Amino acid sequence: MNLAFLRAHAAERVVSLNLCTDQMLVLLAPEKIAALSPLARDPALSFVAPQAEHLPVVRASAEAVLRLHPDLILAAPYGAQTTLALLQQERVPLLRIALPQDFAGIRQMTRLLASALDVPQRGEALLAAMDAELAALPRPDHALHALVWEPRGLTAGPGTLMDAVLDAAGMSNASDGRNMSLEALLRHPPDLLVVPATPAYPSLATTLLDHPALAALRRLTIPPALTICAGPFSAQAAALLAR
Amino acid sequence: MIRWLALLLAVLAAVSLFIGDATLALPDRLILWQLRLPRTLLGLLVGSGLGLSGAVLQGALRNPLADPGLLGITGTAGLGAVIAFYWGLAAAFPPALAAGGLLGAGVGAAFLLSFAGGAPSGPSLILAGVAVSAIAAALLALALTLAPNPFALAEITFWLMGGLADRPLWQVVLAAPTILLGVAILLSLGRGLDALSLGEDTARSLGVPVTRTLRLAAVGTAFAVGTGAAVAGSIGFIGLVVPHLLRPWFGERPGALLPAAPLAGAALLLAADMLVRLAPLVLPLSAAPPVGVLTALLGAPFLVAIARRGEP
Amino acid sequence: MTGVSHLSAVLGGRTVLHDVSLTVVPGELVALCGPNGAGKSTLLRALAGLLPDTGPPDPRHIAWLPQGARSAWGLTVEQVAALGRIPHRDNATAPVTKALRVCGIEALRTARVDRISGGEARRAMLARVFASEPEVLLLDEPTADLDPAASHAIMRLLRTTADAGRTVVVVLHALDLALRYARRVVVLADGRVTADLPADQALPAAAAAFGLPFGADPTPRLLPPC
Repeated sequence: MNLAFLRAHAAERVVSLNLCTDQMLVLLAPEKIAALSPLARDPALSFVAPQAEHLPVVRASAEAVLRLHPDLILAAPYGAQTTLALLQQERVPLLRIALPQDFAGIRQMTRLLASALDVPQRGEALLAAMDAELAALPRPDHALHALVWEPRGLTAGPGTLMDAVLDAAGMSNASDGRNMSLEALLRHPPDLLVVPATPAYPSLATTLLDHPALAALRRLTIPPALTICAGPFSAQAAALLAR
Repeated sequence: MIRWLALLLAVLAAVSLFIGDATLALPDRLILWQLRLPRTLLGLLVGSGLGLSGAVLQGALRNPLADPGLLGITGTAGLGAVIAFYWGLAAAFPPALAAGGLLGAGVGAAFLLSFAGGAPSGPSLILAGVAVSAIAAALLALALTLAPNPFALAEITFWLMGGLADRPLWQVVLAAPTILLGVAILLSLGRGLDALSLGEDTARSLGVPVTRTLRLAAVGTAFAVGTGAAVAGSIGFIGLVVPHLLRPWFGERPGALLPAAPLAGAALLLAADMLVRLAPLVLPLSAAPPVGVLTALLGAPFLVAIARRGEP
Repeated sequence: MTGVSHLSAVLGGRTVLHDVSLTVVPGELVALCGPNGAGKSTLLRALAGLLPDTGPPDPRHIAWLPQGARSAWGLTVEQVAALGRIPHRDNATAPVTKALRVCGIEALRTARVDRISGGEARRAMLARVFASEPEVLLLDEPTADLDPAASHAIMRLLRTTADAGRTVVVVLHALDLALRYARRVVVLADGRVTADLPADQALPAAAAAFGLPFGADPTPRLLPPC
């Protein structure tokens, strides 16, 4: 998909089929939204949930999307393959956005999207705010050894988005990317345990976080809305950590 | 012989405290108390309950394929625990999880006996058990799709396979009294099971209260297995395998197997759990698999072998 | 004294016994004879206290051996016999050993019942009955599927037991054994007692129950009468 083509045919009715592109679309060009994905309204997962409440949503079915007569579709590199294949057959312009893994990637993605949507100044404004926030973060003398620990022992290793967020907050990442069991965690406890906020409903995946053995560890809960997708708001995740 | 078994169990329990996640080393106090000890204790309790209930059920039903899983009791226990968990009962009141498992097992045992009629006989109990298992599995799937948690169905698979990992000590302590009560009930049935070897009418003519014996076997199994299943999921095949492993040493008299069965069940489960803990050292696994995977992998061929040999 | 009085029994919708009364006393060997479906096994179960209206069983004094008795597990002969001590709640070995000897199965005490011959296994089951030292022995077809030598050996044993003061009631298809060893023959047909006579007078009634003409000897004589 050629950027020049996109800029020439400035899209006015944009459909986003993925939570991450939903959020970017709301931040950059809410007036051009034809529809978002339903997850955009979930406050547990979406940073733009309040705004999305009043915006149209659509399920990722080709028929439903086509009825909206979009002139641009935003999607992730994976997922909704059959729907997207059908949409491509109908010659609707499609832009696949890969998830950035660090702040440089966030800047690149924001600029790309802003350009495709023909709102480059808004993109720069968002990035300027993000950079200001990042610059304002304190750089402590000794870096806290932090571990991002998710259900099932998944950790955020080097090269991941959370790794970049930890770095921005002035912390060092205790993970090497491999899964860490409860016992492995206790054998080499980090200074700070960063865990996703538990959902309102009971979840097996998060019961482990209630284990008495973890009671002594310093822990910080971070809303998944700030970590699932990357965007200028990721700086807020770093700010949360730095506090 | 039983002394050797007790000694083996003591050794296994001690070694179990040393084995961690792909390590074999003396742990520090926190890990020892919070992780190794609960895991070992849970293995002892759940294994005893499963092994003994298997021995009792095989004697009561005069069927070498009987097992608490077969009678649907671990299935209904799992259903009770899942309901208590996903509808927030366990979050509001922690003992609710174990209570859910016990209630579920109790309901399963009650249904079992009601399906089998007023005076349950061996064959009718087995058929009733198959029915209870099927109903429990269907209700479980329904409960999971209705649960408030949209990921319930996905995340339960691991738990259902049955594992001892990372359960807090308080859960183990909570499950212990009912498991021990179940074990005590089941141990009292030796005389009745021996008489049942000759058939239910002959047992009655020997003065054994057959209906009460069968009911106690079901109730004892519910206690011995219910709360354990709520904490550890459905660990299968221990109840099936233990009596068969013991018969060459202890003879085929059902009552003779009862004192050894809890020891053998505990030893078997602990040994299996230690193997899965060490598995990441030799296999390309990122974490220790749930112990239910190993018991199923070993137990299923065993089941086929027993079934092939035919009725005794 | 053991017995039933005006007993009627319905099994599976079918009336199996019609108003049957029977009393047996110590020192008697009573044979219950009659065609298939006459209700002999049901009457024996009634005497054992196993029918709903006639319970409960009296395990310390009455021992019952069903037709085709077998063990679900590979118990040893000794273990099977020892089950006879269950009503007495003890592990006394003397009665068990004596029972094994009396039944002629002592040499096979450590053999598994599922690995010996049918006749030997039957004697192991019989030893269980004797091991509980009952006053009343109720046996359903103890000689079924056994060769003549084994059958006669068992009947001789039962006769001796009765002579020693026990009450023995045996359901028998084999009329020759019944007429030869029993003191008293009770003939059942269609759930009713058609005859209750001393053995030496019972042949005509027994033959009639089977629909055989009087005078027709149902089996050839192999041995002289006792």
